[in-house]
Amino acid sequence: MADATYRLRVTYAKTGRLRYLSHLEVVHACERAVRRAGLEYAVTQGFNPRMKIAFGPALPVGTAGNAEAYDVWLTRFVAPDDALKTLRNATPEGLAPAEARYVGEREGSLAAIMTLADYEVSVEVPDMGPGSLAEALGDVIASGSLELEHKGAIKAYDLATCLPEGARVREETGGSVVSLTVRMGAWGSLRPEALLREALRRAGAPDAPVAVTRTNLRPEEACTTRG
Amino acid sequence: MTELWSRVEPLLAHVERPTRYIDSEFGVRRRPDASYRAALLYPDTYELGMANQALAILYDILNGIDDVAAERAFLPAKDMAAAMRAADVPLFTLETVRAVRDCDLLGITLPYELTCTNILEALDMAGIPLYASERGGSDTLVIGGGPCAFNPEPVADFFDAVLVGEGEAAVAEIVAAHRAALADGCTRAETLRRLAQVPGVYVPSLYAPASEGAPAHPREGAPAKVTKRVVADLGAYRSPTCPIVPFMDVVHDRANIEVLRGCTRGCRFCQAGMIYRPVRERSADAIVRDALAQLKCTGQEELSLTSLSTTDHSQIEEVLRRLSHALRGRAVSIGLPSLRVDSFGVAMARLVGEGARGGLTFAPEAGTQRLRDVINKNVTEEDLLATVRTAFEGGWRRLKLYFMLGLPTETDDDIRGIGSLVNKVLAVAREATPPAQRGGMRIAVSVSTFVPKAHTPFQWEGQLTLEQVRERQRILRESMPRKGVELHWHDAEVSFLEGALARGGRDLARVIERAWRSGGGFDAWTEHFVLRRWLDAFAAEGIDPVSLASRSRELDAPLPWDHIDSGVARAYLAKERARALEGVVTPDCSFEECTACGVCSSLGVDVVLAGDHRG
Repeated sequence: MADATYRLRVTYAKTGRLRYLSHLEVVHACERAVRRAGLEYAVTQGFNPRMKIAFGPALPVGTAGNAEAYDVWLTRFVAPDDALKTLRNATPEGLAPAEARYVGEREGSLAAIMTLADYEVSVEVPDMGPGSLAEALGDVIASGSLELEHKGAIKAYDLATCLPEGARVREETGGSVVSLTVRMGAWGSLRPEALLREALRRAGAPDAPVAVTRTNLRPEEACTTRG
Repeated sequence: MTELWSRVEPLLAHVERPTRYIDSEFGVRRRPDASYRAALLYPDTYELGMANQALAILYDILNGIDDVAAERAFLPAKDMAAAMRAADVPLFTLETVRAVRDCDLLGITLPYELTCTNILEALDMAGIPLYASERGGSDTLVIGGGPCAFNPEPVADFFDAVLVGEGEAAVAEIVAAHRAALADGCTRAETLRRLAQVPGVYVPSLYAPASEGAPAHPREGAPAKVTKRVVADLGAYRSPTCPIVPFMDVVHDRANIEVLRGCTRGCRFCQAGMIYRPVRERSADAIVRDALAQLKCTGQEELSLTSLSTTDHSQIEEVLRRLSHALRGRAVSIGLPSLRVDSFGVAMARLVGEGARGGLTFAPEAGTQRLRDVINKNVTEEDLLATVRTAFEGGWRRLKLYFMLGLPTETDDDIRGIGSLVNKVLAVAREATPPAQRGGMRIAVSVSTFVPKAHTPFQWEGQLTLEQVRERQRILRESMPRKGVELHWHDAEVSFLEGALARGGRDLARVIERAWRSGGGFDAWTEHFVLRRWLDAFAAEGIDPVSLASRSRELDAPLPWDHIDSGVARAYLAKERARALEGVVTPDCSFEECTACGVCSSLGVDVVLAGDHRG
């Protein structure tokens, strides 16, 4: 890209009914929000030019997110607060942007640097104490690996690698809330819901409704090129 | 009225593509406090229904009426329908998630014959009695409209009323009549009698159906003929500037601007060409203004200039120049849905930069000049080959050609003519393509079966039987080039059923109900279509579908749709039929002089061109 561009990082939430969007649908909706906002965006080269925009790690259908992010390259500088304001007006409520700031061109892509994801999983099992869920979850994690079927193939996740900080369970009205951190990498991204399903199966409540929220995305090292 | 979301949401974790059911898109209108509520239902899934421009227009107009709310409803996919039935959740509207049966009015689009079982599925899921005759005072008023309203008889028993023709002005009148009837405490029968007085509104229960010997007969003051509604000047209605922007990757996911309505090229097989007359163009200024406004409001990355023949617009070149200039560098593409088979069509496609990415689509429809003259498809082999040469020399590598089998008077030679025409196209395309690039050439040929439709010059003709279709497909396959062409067939069984339904009468309601009760639904989706189910349903009702589809009608015999007046005179259709059989072509009245089809004189309208002339 010959012309100067400004890389705007937009943090947004995926909440309410819009947690049922697929990643592609979220991408599409955010692109359209940028267009509606009237921001002047850079365009990729080639036969089929597209808006230059890059997203963080995908969220599955049904999973909410409190601090998701995308980078969009602008061809005209707009004060971050102004950009945020126009984006908020142009975006459906369930994908509302919370923050916009410019980041350096040299910084790695969101997908590459945001390797840790914090989750909260609400489990609706009124009559199962947090103790038995914690115990079942502890058993799964202690077993070392979790095999999951995805589109006909079996994939094994090494739980020590995927769950660097273990999992914590606390009681809330009507059920329990599990907090955990997932490390993403070349092996993929363990879906917290799948982990909880396995624990719930062991705890004798395989069909208990769960609601998953990714509360934060962060880099692995504490010291990064933020700001 | 209760909000059903808390009962819908638990189902979403277990179904495919929950986005279909969550509403919340940009551009949604929510008017929960309106006292009059209309549900607009497209009888198929969300991703098909959201492509329908008529619904977007009516949604806009109805939500613009004081104290009226219009909400969308679609047929849930089979997995969601099963989950809803198991959880006893009725069909709901998207915007406020309330039961469709709690709405005052349910408007159902009639896009295509094969959606008829979906209409029953929707009514049943809504908890609304299937037959209008079973509905009582407080039941939702069920009104249909769309292309199939021009022979509404097969589904007429399911509707309280059907709007024939264009809805822009008529929907407000229907709503006003219904509100007045509600305010006056009218019985259902009285309400229907009043609705029958709204021009263009057909109330089936007020007509004794047509039979072999006698035309449909009105009673209780209903008009003898229901004349289609037509908007004299499209300029009186702006294109929607802020239509809903779907999250889901729907069919035709783009900004749509209707640049003109109607087509008078006069192809004799084409129902759209007859029922949407006359040609009415929007002005270049209005098109560019509305297109840019819609792109700005929706953030869509693609703009489509829609109509039956967009490159016929008298100012199309000006429109495309202005739009491509305004959209430069924004990664917004412009699409033309249909192209003329001439160098002008290719030039227009080049103007919007389609060259590098898209393919071109042309519809010669028949393989010989003789048969193209019969159907009044004014395209010659020279036109086609020259156009293909221009396109491939200009960098296009993908081409799609549409043909039909079973057109009236078709012989084996006409079928072989398709093969030889495709051979010539292939040779010209190869010649015009540098050898190194020939690997990227894609030539697709799509062949459908001709289905005679009501209100066309071929409405009296017989359709090929399934056996005849298979035999002719064999001949075609043998005549096609061995290599270099992808050949696609439209499912012959689907066309057969379409033919049986397209020209049927009131007695088909029971057949449709049987087919639906035996598990039919989504019949327009090949994977859900089971011909056996339909054959059994026809047999059980003692109706012969082969006769319905394949017998020729006498020119003077009553037809089930005789009381529906498209404005095109029956005598004109008969004259066009006679000219077809003589192989005489008829010119296009939007380019040349009037051909006296009757639309303008009988409906008090005229051809509206934005520029001085077409050419």
